[in-house]
Amino acid sequence: MIVSKWLPAFLLHIHQSIILLLLAMLWVPSGLASDWQSVVDEGKNSDVYFHAWGGDPQINNYIDWLAEQVKQRYNINLQHIKLTDTSEAVSRVLAEKSAGNHHAGKVDLIWINGANFAAMAQHGLLRANWAQQLPNFALTNPDKNPAVTLDFGVPTQGMESPWGQAALTFYYDRTATKQPPFTLQELLNWSVDNKGRFTYPKPPDFIGVSFLKYALISLTPKSKQHLLYQAATEEAADVVLPHLWQYLDALHPNLWRKGRYFVSHSTALRRLMGDTELSLAMTFSAAEVPAAVKRYDLPTSIRSYAMHDGRLSNIHFVAIPYNASHSASAKLVANFMLSAQAQAKKQQANVWGDQTVLDLATLSPEQVALFNQTNTHPSSLKTTSNSPSLAEPHPSWVALINQQWLLRYGAKNAKNAKKQVEQ
Amino acid sequence: MIKSADFFTHAVQHTPKLLMALLILPVLGGLVGVLLPAFGYIPALNKMSFSLQGFNALIDTAGFSQMVLLSAFSALSSTLLAFIITILILACYFNSPWLYRIQRLLGPILVIPHAAAAIAISFLITPSGMISRLFSPWLSGWQSPPDWLLPHDAWGISMILGLTLKELPFLLLMALAALAQADLGAKLRAQHKIALSLGYCPMTAFFKVVLPNLYPFLRLPVLAVLAYASANVEIPLILGPNAPPTLAVAIMHWFNDVDLSLRIKASAGAVIQLLLTITLLAAWWLLEKLTKRVSQTSIINGKRDYAGQHIMRFTHVTTFILISCVVLSLAGLVLWAFAGYWRFPSSLPEQFVFMHWQNALIQMHTSLINTLLIGFSATFIAVIFTLFTLEAEQQRAQSLSRFASLVIYLPMLIPSIAFLFGLVWLQEQLNSQHALFNVIFSHLLFVVPYVFLSLASSYRRLDPRFANLAASLGATPASVFWRVKLPMLISPICIAFALGLAISFSQYLPTLLNGGGRIDTITTEAVTLASGASRRVSSVYALMQMLLPALAFALAWLLPKLLKHYQHKA
Amino acid sequence: MSSLLAIQQLTIWRQQCPLIDIDVSIPGGEILTIMGPSGSGKSTLLNWLTGMLPQQFHAQGSLLLNQQDITHTPAHQRHIGLLYQDPLLFPHLSVAGNIAFAMPKGAKQHRSETISQALEQVGLDGLEQRDPASLSGGQQARVALLRVLLSQPKAILLDEPFSKLDSQLRHETRQLVFNQIREHQLPAIMVTHDQSDADAANGKIINLNAEEATHA
Repeated sequence: MIVSKWLPAFLLHIHQSIILLLLAMLWVPSGLASDWQSVVDEGKNSDVYFHAWGGDPQINNYIDWLAEQVKQRYNINLQHIKLTDTSEAVSRVLAEKSAGNHHAGKVDLIWINGANFAAMAQHGLLRANWAQQLPNFALTNPDKNPAVTLDFGVPTQGMESPWGQAALTFYYDRTATKQPPFTLQELLNWSVDNKGRFTYPKPPDFIGVSFLKYALISLTPKSKQHLLYQAATEEAADVVLPHLWQYLDALHPNLWRKGRYFVSHSTALRRLMGDTELSLAMTFSAAEVPAAVKRYDLPTSIRSYAMHDGRLSNIHFVAIPYNASHSASAKLVANFMLSAQAQAKKQQANVWGDQTVLDLATLSPEQVALFNQTNTHPSSLKTTSNSPSLAEPHPSWVALINQQWLLRYGAKNAKNAKKQVEQ
Repeated sequence: MIKSADFFTHAVQHTPKLLMALLILPVLGGLVGVLLPAFGYIPALNKMSFSLQGFNALIDTAGFSQMVLLSAFSALSSTLLAFIITILILACYFNSPWLYRIQRLLGPILVIPHAAAAIAISFLITPSGMISRLFSPWLSGWQSPPDWLLPHDAWGISMILGLTLKELPFLLLMALAALAQADLGAKLRAQHKIALSLGYCPMTAFFKVVLPNLYPFLRLPVLAVLAYASANVEIPLILGPNAPPTLAVAIMHWFNDVDLSLRIKASAGAVIQLLLTITLLAAWWLLEKLTKRVSQTSIINGKRDYAGQHIMRFTHVTTFILISCVVLSLAGLVLWAFAGYWRFPSSLPEQFVFMHWQNALIQMHTSLINTLLIGFSATFIAVIFTLFTLEAEQQRAQSLSRFASLVIYLPMLIPSIAFLFGLVWLQEQLNSQHALFNVIFSHLLFVVPYVFLSLASSYRRLDPRFANLAASLGATPASVFWRVKLPMLISPICIAFALGLAISFSQYLPTLLNGGGRIDTITTEAVTLASGASRRVSSVYALMQMLLPALAFALAWLLPKLLKHYQHKA
Repeated sequence: MSSLLAIQQLTIWRQQCPLIDIDVSIPGGEILTIMGPSGSGKSTLLNWLTGMLPQQFHAQGSLLLNQQDITHTPAHQRHIGLLYQDPLLFPHLSVAGNIAFAMPKGAKQHRSETISQALEQVGLDGLEQRDPASLSGGQQARVALLRVLLSQPKAILLDEPFSKLDSQLRHETRQLVFNQIREHQLPAIMVTHDQSDADAANGKIINLNAEEATHA
């Protein structure tokens, strides 16, 4: 059924693909194919140290599967270095650079996006202009989807290859609350009736920052929204941020622990949902929810949904440090990550449930069929939900929000914090 | 004594120096590697001039004074609490068989890594934890978990509870080990009896007669506990507040922050941490002197009873609560590791499943192998070095200098966060390719003091006449060592080995930093998962962390018996 | 009223096995000597007398001190002084501190005068502030004796009190201790290996191995 649904679209796009192919042949030096072959030859039979956040067993299992696949294909030993925080790998590469280790770095591949990417790019810690050379990169249809070359609004300049995309999904405990909030304003009202049953992780946690960005976008009047998609300035901040602080000042007293304590990692939200301490939480990987219910980590009364006033969406990437020991092998892995097979597997709700970055229009019907979703769990997100997608604001806003949030709510000594804010 | 000139003797003679170098160079080198960046000198960031910029940034950090106060308050109060309760237990049960029962109940906590203990305690006191489930809803009326501030409360109460529970058995065991020394124990017991016969109530007799003579043996362990409590990261990470966290945790975050210029601030923080720990140690020393001075007259004032009955009753209750906490934490952990759906406020899960173990066991095999490999390598080296050093001491017929003994305990007293970052930098300079080797080496620093502590007394107590007898029968020093001394010491060696393994298994910061995050062990995984999504998986890892050292000690207990059995058969 | 320590129909068992069987009373100023090889139960008897009988033993019978039944009184409320073969002076206290520790509460001035007088009596004048470890064996033994006596016990137990002293010192110290016991009219029980101790005590002798009491 789904194949037939995609078929016309596929046919429609055939000519587009041919044009693309022609364009590629025109633009790209004729040596490309053999260049890739030399990458394959160089990259085979080697180790790849993949530094990736390791807090989710589901994702870890998927990376294990990747390791098996690249072992079979290229005899590559993909070693998953499980990070608690991606910044650990950033520090690692910096330490190597400071020690003068410019060629034998220990980090071959990093799962990264947002502020970590911006920091690494700024310090020249990443290898550039390789991502677009990956044969499978074309499957993302970059001309039609410029998002795959923008990381939170910053051009990737071939320093990173897209891996997946995620949107902010909410989930609630049906036993504890019959009706969840569907907009940001409803959330405030809901929190009054359900005191202590909602919280968000403190910045710089990814989910925490994402919640703040969702709130910021929703609270900013349409006429001012363009400010969020430009580099943040003090004037712009004075226009938009007061709305956010006003909202949070009203929300915080109703939060878990009265807003006096915020969890450091978003993973803790799921644990607190499992403990029934919280009745409402959010995630960037919607499939994590049904998987957790099946593993008994969440109660059976959990349901997922999308906020009606919009879902924050973003793409995550893999990058290769400038001094990686096995950069060719890392490219082979990154290329395989973009294959239809790997992307389809990743999108399966019972595997990871991470939305693909490929443009299905560029795929063959057989490949498209791989993306069929089978059995869905009652706690899964309904695919019928169609909330507007909210684009990530310019990354300079993140640093600003983080900094000001920490000054306002991070230190308990309010007097001290206020003084700093005034300065 | 005439020394022989064979290879073994040479090797033995040089070991103490080598051991000193092995401990001094990394620790002091690491300190230098932190001091330079603290004063603004980081060639990597093109900062080659000295400045106080890091310290200024530190002082400007919102909540900095709270971090320092939190670290100091939690370290002092947990050490004081653990010390006082240890002394109360000793005083209350000094002549009672209960002392050894309590030791047996609390002893196993000693081998539980701090991270696992913290996880168990956080599961106990969390709003949906065992305590609140046991009293809900019949007593508390709670249908859903209360909005408590535990764990992670701003005052660090949960953290203090965790540190106290974890350090108390260590102090108690150290006290009992001192009392187990034949001459000291017998003498103190006899003096206690004399005090009783002079009409002193047992509690007062303990405080006025036994404690002043027992305390010198507890001083070093107490200081080690205090130093550890002031600078550790595992327990505050799992139980402590995060707005702001303790100084040590904040330093770790700054070191790992994306913003690389924070490293200067982090190094400055490490220097402040070092000063903080030294200040706390000095404060304890002062407190000790003060107590001594104040109590001097009251010891001989002839008063024989200070509400001893009430204090005893209080101690009974405290001990009972303590043991209940331990039992409930462990029970909670086991239940979570096998739990299916388990909605609050049920005291028991709806169903029991093996799924969490199956999933975890599939995922943990690499970290398990790493854990064992690192543990065995570090401990093996530590035991060899320790034995050779002790042998050198006997060959020279003089015990280690005070300086040398101090150096051995250096890694126990200097907060690891203050020198590990510098050590990482040093190791980078020398070779950056062998993460596993770096980790083993850094573990060695922490394993040696404990192995030495545990082996030294038995080795020194060994009757020298056995060695003399063997030598008179024509045995070389090497064969005396290998064939006479070691077999006689097989039990203490096994125990020291197990202790070394337990210490290595529990290391978090050295594994994380010196391995560059590339080496996963059960402990690093457990800490990562403690903040993670699944209580069930977290429990499995915490239990695994407890099982490993327990297994090591079981083997250490069994192995000498088996060997003996085998020898007697053969 | 003169003091009296009475052991009435005492039997002590180790597990099920009877070890000691005694019935005796000691008037003030008299010294009962208990003799017997090691393992005969001498220290078990002492432990029972001080109220510190280990768990593996159990006893029947009663202990009366000045007509008061103290069989079940805790050790520290019995007012029975102890003198061991080791002086067991508290190392963290000075000579005067050791004695003051034993004395009942009272005015500081009065206490220190009493201590000085007592030290003078046994030839240790001026040694108040000395560290006990710096004293000779005989001096330590005398301080230990003063410590017991100044605690004002109602009876006194001597556990091989002179066995660590050489023969000259032994004679002198023994004389001093016995004189003091007689002077204070305290009932005393002495456990010893040494026949000369028993002879000097000049009182009843119980030989535990022979399980019969004889009069000297």
